[in-house]
Amino acid sequence: MMVLLQSLISGILIGGVYALIGIGMTIIFGVMRVINFAHGDILMVGMYLTYTLFSSLGIDPFVSIVITIPLMFLFGAFLQKVFINRMLGAHPQNQILLTIGLGLIMSNTMMLIFTSDYKIISTSYSSESFNVAGISISSPLAISFLITAAITLLLYWFLLKTNTGQAIRATAQDREAAQLMGINVRWMSILAFGIGSALAGTAGALISPTYYIFPQIGGIFTLKAFIITVLGGMGSIIGATLGGIIIGVAESVSAVYISSGWKDVVVFVLFLLVLLFKPAGLMGKSRM
Amino acid sequence: MKRGIVLVLAFCLALPGLSLAANVKIGFINSITGPEAPIGENLSNGVTLAIEDLKKKGINVQLLKEDDTGKPQISMSAMEKLAGQGVAGVVGPYTSACANAVAKLAEKYKVPLLVPVAAKQEITRQHLKYVYRLNAPADQYASSLIDAALAMGKPKTIAFIYENTDFGTSTTKSAKEYVARKGIRVVADEPYSQGAPDYRSTLTKIKAQKPDLVFMVSYVADAILLMRQSREIGLQPQAFLGGGAGFTTVQFAKEKEISNNVFSTTQWTEDVNWPGARNFFNRYKSKFGKEPTYHAACAYEAMLIMAETASKNGGDREKTRAGLKSGSWKGIMGDVKFEDYDGFTNQNRHQMLILQIQNGQIETVFPTRFASKKPIFPFPKWK
Repeated sequence: MMVLLQSLISGILIGGVYALIGIGMTIIFGVMRVINFAHGDILMVGMYLTYTLFSSLGIDPFVSIVITIPLMFLFGAFLQKVFINRMLGAHPQNQILLTIGLGLIMSNTMMLIFTSDYKIISTSYSSESFNVAGISISSPLAISFLITAAITLLLYWFLLKTNTGQAIRATAQDREAAQLMGINVRWMSILAFGIGSALAGTAGALISPTYYIFPQIGGIFTLKAFIITVLGGMGSIIGATLGGIIIGVAESVSAVYISSGWKDVVVFVLFLLVLLFKPAGLMGKSRM
Repeated sequence: MKRGIVLVLAFCLALPGLSLAANVKIGFINSITGPEAPIGENLSNGVTLAIEDLKKKGINVQLLKEDDTGKPQISMSAMEKLAGQGVAGVVGPYTSACANAVAKLAEKYKVPLLVPVAAKQEITRQHLKYVYRLNAPADQYASSLIDAALAMGKPKTIAFIYENTDFGTSTTKSAKEYVARKGIRVVADEPYSQGAPDYRSTLTKIKAQKPDLVFMVSYVADAILLMRQSREIGLQPQAFLGGGAGFTTVQFAKEKEISNNVFSTTQWTEDVNWPGARNFFNRYKSKFGKEPTYHAACAYEAMLIMAETASKNGGDREKTRAGLKSGSWKGIMGDVKFEDYDGFTNQNRHQMLILQIQNGQIETVFPTRFASKKPIFPFPKWK
């Protein structure tokens, strides 16, 4: 029982970060109908940014997100303005190639700058934990979960209550109609890609105190983000939040009750089952 | 005419290596480029130091270097090339896959081959007359660690957590066979795929079994991650045994909070009391600006042994082979003698060293006669 609770808790905590990655991807898909295969690499850039801030300026990884978020937003907006916007009307396969190419450029650039060695951020709390009723909870994971939750709530509020947020949602629902209503859809696209990148970068910053960093790490997270987004329903933020938590818990519980070598199999079987019975994903119908 | 003879004489005196000192041709196959290059560099540097020392002893080595880029097929063509160039013997290649491929060719061309660091057991288990190995084979990694644990306490159960790669599974396989003979029960057997951010659930499962020993095989990043998360969930065995590359690195040792008191094993350290070990470390560091790994020491010693034997036998391959078989050496790798035992042929019974991280320093703690510090056992309670 204890073991089950322990694995549920770690699953939910890590799932929170997965959710953040998934939400970023789903916003980008929702607004532009572009599957961002560079998403994991953007996260990797966020990790290196955090690492650089930590190792050269001594800024704590969790504090550094106040720098990471705006910088990653600008980075995403730049990518959108210079590259993705030109490809919006193109064939989906060309868009996929473009994002994969951008991802490759990012990971290889990082390899040139930082070499392919593993980098580890060691903070005083990297291996700290506290006990709640006999269950040990990782302090850095708990902090990152709280930050994730706060950011997610803020994002919901922004999308539901503000004019700009509503304009982004309108663009996601119907690009042409939104344009007819006087919404600057190009600007909304830049905004959406910026937010998506900022979220991925933040997720990178949040897991860097407990994880390690290397240039090819993006692939792992792109795949995760993709599964989470499809599982939750492409374009649905609630779906991505849910998807992230589900994947986190599924990985963690299956590692305990089956074997850690099999946890990916469990995740993919789950993914296939959802696609079989609900092809549009868990929250497939409701758009943002 | 007279003038000419004087000139020739002067020439001979100026270049003693050409006429007076022994001159011997040795091949060296290594991964100089490619993914294995960072470790390959250690081997190359070790060999460079060996050539310097050989020169001081009056042995002039004509070194024929070949790069195998870490690929067995390139390694094999390198061996064929070297055999054709009339080398007395070959040192290398670095990786297990390459060394295993080249071993059969060495036998075919009757070229003595001295493998310095490749750990795959099969290399010296094929009854090859021309293939010698200096380092201890892979099964020694696990058995020497478990022997050390048995010498320190009475562990009854063991849990395994390891990378699901060839390296991880084969090391664990030999460990499992060894503990079965020693009467230790395996309570958990958990392979994982590299790069997962969360091992907590697997470690929790292991914790529930309350193992006396936890045996881990992983590279550096995962080693740090696994130990961090072990601390988080409060996994508390009598000893953590690090069976893989990740646990012996300086980077791992630097993470004092989590790396302290973890045991691991290696072929060589600078603080061991084998003759010249410390001196080799210092020379290497001042010449190349980096600390040598055990690979450098193995390659250094292997080149010394091969070149000395070959020069003593005038570069004759058959005599060199016999010389390797009958000789014995004592140097920075301790006592070296190539023997046939337990199905191995021409295998040096190299003593693996057990290390423990104490206050962020890697210390040799076992076997006692080579130790610099006393082992700390059982594992102290996590703070």
